[in-house]
Amino acid sequence: MTAVAIEGVSRAFGAVQAVAAISLDIRDGEFFTLLGPSGCGKTTLLRMIAGFCELDCGVIRFGDKRIDTLAAHRRNTGMVFQNYAIFPNLNVGANVAYGLRARKVATARIAERVRSALKLVHLEDYEARWPHQLSGGQLQRVAIARALVIEPEVLLLDEPLSNLDAQLRVEMRGEIRQLQQSLGITAIYVTHDQEEALAISDRIAVMRAGRLEQVGTPDSIYRNSATPFVAQFMGITNLLEGKVLGHEGAHLVVEAGATRFRIESVAIAPGEAITFSLRPEALRVLGAGEAPPPDWGVIEAQVARAEFLGTLTRIEAHLPDATMLRIALLDQTIETPAAGQTLSLCYDPRRVSVPERS
Amino acid sequence: MKFGAGAGFRITVTVFGLLFLGLFFLYPVLRVFSASFLDSSGAQLTLHNYAKVLSSAFYLDSMVNSLWIGVLATVATTLVAAPMAFALARLPLAGKTALMALSILPLVLPSFVGAYALLLLFGRAGIVTSGLHALGIPFGSIYGTPGIVLVYVLTLYPFVLLPALAGFKAVDVSVEEASQNLGASRWRSLRTVTVPIVMPAILSGALLVFIDTLENFGVPFVLAEDMPILAVEAYKLFVGETDTNPGSAGVLGVLLVASTAAVVMIQRRYLGRRRFATGARRSPPLIPLSRGFRALATAYCWTLVLASLVPFFAVIVISFLEFRGPVLHWHVSLDNYVELFERSLRPLQNTLFLSTLAALGAALLGVPIGYVVTRARTRITALLDIVATMPFAVAGTVLGIGMIITFNSGWLVLTGGWFILVLAYVVRKVPFSVRTSSAILHQIDPSLEEASINLGVSPAMTFLRLTVPLMLGGIVGGMVLTWVSAASELSSTVLLYSGQWQTLTVVMFQALESTGAGLAAATASLLIFFTVVPIALIYRLLRRYEMSLL
Repeated sequence: MTAVAIEGVSRAFGAVQAVAAISLDIRDGEFFTLLGPSGCGKTTLLRMIAGFCELDCGVIRFGDKRIDTLAAHRRNTGMVFQNYAIFPNLNVGANVAYGLRARKVATARIAERVRSALKLVHLEDYEARWPHQLSGGQLQRVAIARALVIEPEVLLLDEPLSNLDAQLRVEMRGEIRQLQQSLGITAIYVTHDQEEALAISDRIAVMRAGRLEQVGTPDSIYRNSATPFVAQFMGITNLLEGKVLGHEGAHLVVEAGATRFRIESVAIAPGEAITFSLRPEALRVLGAGEAPPPDWGVIEAQVARAEFLGTLTRIEAHLPDATMLRIALLDQTIETPAAGQTLSLCYDPRRVSVPERS
Repeated sequence: MKFGAGAGFRITVTVFGLLFLGLFFLYPVLRVFSASFLDSSGAQLTLHNYAKVLSSAFYLDSMVNSLWIGVLATVATTLVAAPMAFALARLPLAGKTALMALSILPLVLPSFVGAYALLLLFGRAGIVTSGLHALGIPFGSIYGTPGIVLVYVLTLYPFVLLPALAGFKAVDVSVEEASQNLGASRWRSLRTVTVPIVMPAILSGALLVFIDTLENFGVPFVLAEDMPILAVEAYKLFVGETDTNPGSAGVLGVLLVASTAAVVMIQRRYLGRRRFATGARRSPPLIPLSRGFRALATAYCWTLVLASLVPFFAVIVISFLEFRGPVLHWHVSLDNYVELFERSLRPLQNTLFLSTLAALGAALLGVPIGYVVTRARTRITALLDIVATMPFAVAGTVLGIGMIITFNSGWLVLTGGWFILVLAYVVRKVPFSVRTSSAILHQIDPSLEEASINLGVSPAMTFLRLTVPLMLGGIVGGMVLTWVSAASELSSTVLLYSGQWQTLTVVMFQALESTGAGLAAATASLLIFFTVVPIALIYRLLRRYEMSLL
């Protein structure tokens, strides 16, 4: 159980800057996720912590102890690999015992700890089984037990769920989160799946091209995306470009798509350009004669296409100048709108975020 | 720190590998090169040797003959083996499993024994020749080009067959279906889609054939008669040369190495631009055939396989017959073996001893090198990879000459004992060992090793405790094949053996030079025995790795 400090860490592969001067403070017992598209450097950063990738510069510490100069096998991290990396020549028990044997733990203690580790992942009776007899989900559990049994200072997880089918993925991520919390272990988790990251993390670092775009809680990253990239990467959004017209009470009035939007006040002077993000699910359809809540913004858009998805209806609509606006309706109080219909929509100005241009 | 995780292990292997190959391979070969540029006393730089050799019609002929036979044998082998590969991959054949098993054998059977078998059957005093003459049927000569090419085709065809077979099996059938869907006939699809996809695999096999024919010493020695062949003439020149500096043999050695190097380079250029893997998940389905075509295809494959094996079988049978001088009598007897073993048991013991050490040495050197060049791509390991592959293109004759020049005097004298033979075998087999382990490693996910290191086991211990056990099947298979090919190594052995360190191949070589036909047959049979039995024992293992064993 350890805080992890990453200070000015860089790594280039040829001309590609895989990780560019990244600094992060991961707290003791935190579930911290590195999130980003493939090639953003998140796996490289994780492998630097594990010791499988050299640093061009920078320092990594566990607590007060500098670890980036230690050989990989001396770092005491427990890593869960994307493809599980279960040793095919060892049975489940021997796989889990592997790290304990390397640490020269007494044989009797090994048996005991292997058993309790397997219990932790609900594989009590699988000790004598062989890897080829297990399903993907079970292999995943063995991999987690094997990483946890050595009581690592930090648990490292490299896209551990990407080889599982959708339903198992959701199940396993809940289990991993629960396990991490009950053990109070610091965990660093790499994924490209934003939903997974939101569901599981205490904090998320969104990465792009080797740099950090934003670090924060799932809430803040989703609702107050710091950059247009984050806003778009964290689910679907309407990223609208417009011009500040002026103030109206506590709000700023912005024109975009030949429509006036009210947004929370930010430090941009009238006349200047602005990019803001309005999530599809923040928009609500106003019925005929229905009044919007006080202070809410109201806009109109013409439906181009509607997709009924069961729990959700996704609508693509056009603002007057044909700018596309995505709308997501969760409740079906009205019929699925037809193409060509003009909708009156309202939204809470607090749901509009203004990411900085990067 | 700059070298990262596991650097100690990596650096140790790299440094040791480069030193070993530098001292026992590069340096001796370099000495052959320098010998070719020095005068007879070895003191003055000169181009006289080149002038002498290149102005001699005889030696120019040896070069032309070697290349011409190489080209003929390569083309013939490819034309024979590629259709068989297609048949095995895509056609319904009778006895396919047996065909596959039997078609591996020529890969390990000593080719000069095959040449000798041909001689026993179709030579001037051969059994078949005499029989035909007795019936009044004329029979042409198998000496010279036709016989040599025939032996090459029959013993080297698996070099093309195995990669082509794997290639045909890896073709995604949907590519063919797409072609047919676009209106091409089955035949046209085969010609314009399937064959081009497999072509690089076929050609890489053909390259192996060509190199083998260039450096092969035993087959032309048995069958060439008066026809000069580069590898044989280099040997004869070296053995006959009395000067301090073997300049002329050096020139022939350089020509030999230059030819193979040129071919390798041409092939690399061609293959470098072609990557046609279609990554089929399943082998393409068999093509239905009419009964007639099916019988034809079956007959074709069986004829080739049997034609390649019958001569060896014949040698074994003949070895149990009675010879009086060179004349064969049809009485079953063990005389030949009695004669062989009465002379001395040493050659047999030597062969077993030297091959075992060679197999161990090649594995101990080659497996770690294979590991390092596969798992850690740096500039220095790339260099190691190249150096460790080079012995493959250097003829045994040249290596043998180089080792004698180098280790006959000076600070390190090795000639005259068993050690130099083992060294030569290890050097010659290292490329094979490196490539086998590299191929096996490609099937082992690197994250397994990372997981082990992550759990606290050092890289060197991870290699020993995890990687080696995972590779074991392939390593054992590779060692058995190294053992077998060391047991039948001839070209450097005849140069490097001395006194009591005669091997079975040397006994056979001497018996061929004199007229000890019975002795030669018995020795040949022993060599066949030591080839086939180990291969049969590990056959199931080999099937899994057959592709990596080329």
